[in-house]
Amino acid sequence: MKRSTYQNKYQILRYILIFLILAILVVVLGSRKNFGPLQYAQLSLDGLRGGAIYALIAMGFVIVFNVTGIINFAQGAFVTLGAMFTVTFYNLNAPLPKSLHLLLSVIAAILVTTCIGVLVERLTIYPARKSSPLTLIIITVGVFITIQGLSLLVWGADAYVFPAFTTLEMSDRVFRWLGMVIKAQSFWIWGIMVLVLVCIAYFFNFTLLGRAMRACAVNRLGARLVGISPGRMSLVSFGIAAAVGAIGGIVVAPIIRPSYDMGLSLGLKGFVAAIMGGLVSTPGAVLGGLLLGFLENVAAGVTKAGLKDIFAFILLILTLLFRPQGLLGVRKTTVETDGAH
Amino acid sequence: MSRKIHHLVVLLTIAALIVAACGQATPVATEAPSPTDTQAPPPPVETQAPPTPTEAPPEPTPTEEMIGETYKIGFAPAITGPGASLGAPEHETGQMLSEQLNAQGGVVGPDGVRHPVEILIFDTETNPDVAVSVVRRMIEEENVQVVVAGTTTGISMAIVPIITEAQIPYISMASSGAIVKDPDTGVVREWAFKTAQDNFASAQWQALYLTAQGYTQVCHLSENSGYGADTLAQAKRAFEPAGIQIVYEDSFERTGTEFPQVASVQTSGCQAVVVGAIPPASSNVSIALRDALPDLPIVHGHGTCNQDHIDLMGAAVAEGMVSPCGKVMVSDTLPDDDPQKDVLVQYVDDYTAFTGKPVNTFGGHGWDALMLAVTAVASLPDGLDLAAQRAAIRDFLETGVKDWPGISGVYNLSPEDHFSLGFDSLTFVKVENGAWVFFPEDQW
Repeated sequence: MKRSTYQNKYQILRYILIFLILAILVVVLGSRKNFGPLQYAQLSLDGLRGGAIYALIAMGFVIVFNVTGIINFAQGAFVTLGAMFTVTFYNLNAPLPKSLHLLLSVIAAILVTTCIGVLVERLTIYPARKSSPLTLIIITVGVFITIQGLSLLVWGADAYVFPAFTTLEMSDRVFRWLGMVIKAQSFWIWGIMVLVLVCIAYFFNFTLLGRAMRACAVNRLGARLVGISPGRMSLVSFGIAAAVGAIGGIVVAPIIRPSYDMGLSLGLKGFVAAIMGGLVSTPGAVLGGLLLGFLENVAAGVTKAGLKDIFAFILLILTLLFRPQGLLGVRKTTVETDGAH
Repeated sequence: MSRKIHHLVVLLTIAALIVAACGQATPVATEAPSPTDTQAPPPPVETQAPPTPTEAPPEPTPTEEMIGETYKIGFAPAITGPGASLGAPEHETGQMLSEQLNAQGGVVGPDGVRHPVEILIFDTETNPDVAVSVVRRMIEEENVQVVVAGTTTGISMAIVPIITEAQIPYISMASSGAIVKDPDTGVVREWAFKTAQDNFASAQWQALYLTAQGYTQVCHLSENSGYGADTLAQAKRAFEPAGIQIVYEDSFERTGTEFPQVASVQTSGCQAVVVGAIPPASSNVSIALRDALPDLPIVHGHGTCNQDHIDLMGAAVAEGMVSPCGKVMVSDTLPDDDPQKDVLVQYVDDYTAFTGKPVNTFGGHGWDALMLAVTAVASLPDGLDLAAQRAAIRDFLETGVKDWPGISGVYNLSPEDHFSLGFDSLTFVKVENGAWVFFPEDQW
């Protein structure tokens, strides 16, 4: 039974008022640059594309946090690994048609990254499972730095080239519709985000393993009493987070040139998105991601675009100050932490 | 039992990492200095250290020649990090020169004494903090005679106070004029020199091209770094007298995925976009601009003069983009009486033979800086102490480098001018079919 997160209509009115004020501010700033509705639409669309990437990464954060109570800062590393492994596998010589080759490389990269996620959990989180969540979070930071360093050793400092999914070449199909520019890769990103969301929802609601994980998230001790092993749930959650992170890295790779350090800023933005969504549910993560991408892009477009990253972190601070439970979260007086037993 | 297995796995992993790291050690027996920092564990970098005189193979020179002390040049390009596409060719050039110096046994001083020359190679990771600690180590522990470092402007500016305090000559490979001359007071920095062409010269070429095309309103997008900010400042200096107005200026992150700047470019009504960035940022922003505005001309700066810039955006997108570049990119089309031609052709042959890759301007900056250092140490008389050697090198650089043909240009250094490369050291190039071609003024 979910309590309504918006207790009374005055709260809703307050948020609508804030939204209106911001919208007016945006229009005023935009008019200084002669923005028309076309520019706003383009900025929104691009922002939603970036937001979809953040959403995929945020889902990983949310899944791990729900089951284990840890913020897994190594999530950005999984993003990097997904993209880089796909590049490596795709560059192997194989007598296959390009589309099949890419598909197999993608699948192989996701599998490898999932295994690495599982290894990370077993080698670094599981032995420290009786420590406080803070210790575990610091451990994940160490894991991120280690994986980034190893990525540098393996792939070097160069930026790599990744083919777009539609054309299987570097240059992508561009759709021009009503004056707006939409790259074909954007549809892939949105589509895959929806697909992942649906799969995750199905997994958590209709499969035994998924419901066991939810049980673990709701009440760890109770789950243990009915025979669910929190250790194993933790392992599965890291595996899923790694897979989802890898998918995020793979779909964004044709747009940016993947390199060993692409995970840092993407991981941080994904973290902000997860916080904005409330860290409670994957739909919340998606909502947070899309909202973050949209707001940051529009804000940067109407002011100085060089400040885009600053807006993302301003949003983080504002969220934590005024609505720490995020969009879909329920305000708690204490944070439930049973420790990751 | 599983606890023991777990311990074993962790120990084996750590052992494997150590073995892999040590396996990167150079084939030479001498201990190579490791440039890593004490905090986060950046991966160990291959460092090349030519053998010291006692372990050297038998000298091919007559036995009457005395072997003097080994001169050390500290070399720190940005082999990793965002500046890697510039620093890696500099690194390779350094390795190539190191091999050549070993083969010829070092340099011969003015008194006929032969001195081996060691080039100590470090990585600044395009991180000013790492650069500072690496340079400090070079100066205080390795006792180098001269420092060659700073692939990017940001790194070089961080190094300048360190070398000034230590009173050691420093040759940077980055482009901003602020490295050698304080922009506020106009006073030349006593110990700092640089080999990359100035951003102002690059802006002058851009202004020339824009005027020839009849563009009077342009947008300027620069990356969020010292180099990007300097390109904007120099563009303002160069464009104003030419009557070109910058109607929209903005910056972007090197690591950005979306480019909201494009919307503002669209509505500003500018006729061309001038971009101040290095690859891969220059490629990313170009793709975003081309997608939204396929016909808008894009003019880059001389920070893009390597093949990465083209490859990272694809030949189709890069087609037609222009920038000012050093002559090394088009050395085969130069006239034979060009003072740099011999040096350029030699470098192109050596570099492509050593690395198997095409040349680019940045390797040239590295070559110039290192060769200036080598020429300077070759001029040192015997018997000086370290401080006197460093001062003598600085004096040589200020007075002994006249009409010196390098890769990036012809150098004429003086106490008032610590870089001397101006407008004439650059030439204009265009991207055609995925490669750089010479774009002379009569074709504009």
